[in-house]
Amino acid sequence: MTCSDVERVLPEFLDRAPDGAFPTDFETHVKTCPACSNLVSELKLIASEARQLAATEEPAPRVWVRIAAELRAEGLIREPQSTPARPILIPTSSGRRWSAWWLAPVAAALLAAGAYMVGHERAPQVAKQQAPTTPVTSPAVDTLGATSHSEDIQSPLQQAKKSGKPGASAVGTTVATAVEPGPSAEDQQFLSAVSTLAPSMRVSYENELQAVNADIRETQAYVNRNPGDEDARQHLMDAYQQKALLYQIALDRIQ
Amino acid sequence: MASLWHASLRQNTVVTLVLATCLASAASAETKKEYRFTVGPNASVSVDTQYGAISVKPGSRNQVVVTATLKSDKVEVDKLQNGNRIEIASHLLQGADQQSGQIDYEVLIPPDATLNLRSSTGPLSAEHLQGDLSLEGTDAVVNIRNVDNGHVNVRTMGGPITLSDVRNGHVDIASISGDVHLKSVTGPLVQAKSGSGKIFYDGDFGSGGDYKFTTHTGDIEALAPGNVSADFSAHSVLGQVQNDFPLQPKHSRFSVEAGRSFFGTVGKAASEVVLRTFSGKIRLKQR
Amino acid sequence: MTDLKQSITEAEAIEQAKQGHEAAFEVLYHLHKRRVYSLCLRMVSNPVQAEDLAQEAFLQLFRKISTFRGESAFSTWLHRMTVNVVLMQLRKKGLPVVSLEETLEADDEAPRKEFGTKDLKLTGAIDRLQLQRAIDKLPPGYRTVFVLHDVEGFEHNEIAQMVGCSIGNSKSQLHKARLKLRDYLKFMRAEKAKTG
Repeated sequence: MTCSDVERVLPEFLDRAPDGAFPTDFETHVKTCPACSNLVSELKLIASEARQLAATEEPAPRVWVRIAAELRAEGLIREPQSTPARPILIPTSSGRRWSAWWLAPVAAALLAAGAYMVGHERAPQVAKQQAPTTPVTSPAVDTLGATSHSEDIQSPLQQAKKSGKPGASAVGTTVATAVEPGPSAEDQQFLSAVSTLAPSMRVSYENELQAVNADIRETQAYVNRNPGDEDARQHLMDAYQQKALLYQIALDRIQ
Repeated sequence: MASLWHASLRQNTVVTLVLATCLASAASAETKKEYRFTVGPNASVSVDTQYGAISVKPGSRNQVVVTATLKSDKVEVDKLQNGNRIEIASHLLQGADQQSGQIDYEVLIPPDATLNLRSSTGPLSAEHLQGDLSLEGTDAVVNIRNVDNGHVNVRTMGGPITLSDVRNGHVDIASISGDVHLKSVTGPLVQAKSGSGKIFYDGDFGSGGDYKFTTHTGDIEALAPGNVSADFSAHSVLGQVQNDFPLQPKHSRFSVEAGRSFFGTVGKAASEVVLRTFSGKIRLKQR
Repeated sequence: MTDLKQSITEAEAIEQAKQGHEAAFEVLYHLHKRRVYSLCLRMVSNPVQAEDLAQEAFLQLFRKISTFRGESAFSTWLHRMTVNVVLMQLRKKGLPVVSLEETLEADDEAPRKEFGTKDLKLTGAIDRLQLQRAIDKLPPGYRTVFVLHDVEGFEHNEIAQMVGCSIGNSKSQLHKARLKLRDYLKFMRAEKAKTG
């Protein structure tokens, strides 16, 4: 057997039984050829050392946080959300950041609520209407610059936002006081945490929260009127995901 | 075994230089500091600042250079190196506000490094890179250009997002109210979502990819060349749609409502393009 | 970890996870997180991607946990699921899961003698950092088979089934991967010897 022969058959023989029962001519050559002997022993060393690498790396804690949030969103975690006994702390180098442990489960709960709303008992398919039931003009194709009849059903807050972003925040706040319903308990808690931990961001978060809540309400109202509209249901789910994203961005920032 | 591992890493990879330069100013003591880290292949760099800009460009293949401009002494830089993973974060001290707590970062990284950036105010920018990018800004303006092969993931609350010349990776953009501008962005998966922000796309929907643009109230506008090859689906629940392309009709799960939907293929339908909005407008324009 | 986590066995955790108990999911996660994450990291050499893949592997596992009947070890089930998640990701990115060539190339036929390292043998323990770096340098196709066989302990028939190649191809790829690693490691040692 030559060195070339050894290299050719090595893939077949190297991983044989631990007692290394090789053909006689192979063994004879390897014993007498330093180069092939080195090759075999070095490849075996690499193979054995590689096994040490299994299960040595630790994932960041955020991986579990994300998994848990997704499990809740999908309803696989079915325990009631009791007062959390342990904080979800994401360790940092300084360890001096705040923890907002409840935001992750709330974000996940929002997704779960959205999933429930969307996937809840589907009403029998109804004849799809050619136009929404809200009072609108004819659905003629229009240029982007023209007034859209869809604005008829937008909330005043959304109209204010569309009219021009720079003034939207101030306008939105004023309009919100007059028109928008108050925030839910979770939203109140969320804004309270933001006020405490990142007060300069409060106005931004509040305006965005009002806008996404308005989107959810608007879409929910449409879905209630048109239960067979799958795309609208998906938009409702998207709206909940937007709210969960808002919570998640806040979680990443204020913790 | 883990401790030997870390000791070995420290011995082999950490070289840090601190260069402090005091810049006198009437209002506050602005300080510039530089940090250098030696890294191996597949480095991971994370920069997180509450207030301040982060700008990232490619540097040498085995070094990360961070230049931090601290606006006052009410903020400091936390830094951590664990092997090939570099973590930089601004740490606000007592009494810091948006002005005094600001640190602007300029970062040079190996072109194929993985990058994570986070800032509330921004702006955030990254260019000429090949690794995976993950950027998150609250109201930060985000600008990414010339990225090849890397996955790009961007999240903002209200900050506008602009991507240009991003190719061959997965692109995943989400904003609550920020506008999204995509120019010459192609890849196997390109998806953008905004609640009330607008989505603008200017490109050829190439690479046989999946393109999904979704808004709630924001408008979607796409500009593509006449020789585009794509299967288009567009639907606005309450808004209007307009299309400049002669589409070959095909069966779709949506019932086709005049003025609210259009479906069909152009060319060989190599890519799939799905444009969805709840109440915004959709416009597909031919260049 | 809480007392619950410390006192519960894996089998109990599985049953409780089927009932939707969060603590049980967390027990299972912490029991297997290193193995799953390490596998993902070795295969894609990218910590952020590895985190995403590990997350996806656990999610797939937990979604299907109600179907687990104990015919095989839970860890084996999770292990295979993780590999499938990673391979799917590699295929999506268009990266070669395994190279197609089946035969040794001409320049691989003889043991290497370059670098002026006639006496530089790989003996004793290999520096784990160097081995990791060398694995990271492997082409994706070689890396897949090497990680699955030598690091994770899968047999060639299992690898062939998972990646969609022949057993012979799997053996050939593994051999080439080891040869390349041998070259990289010798080079690294030579470089280190030069710089002292």
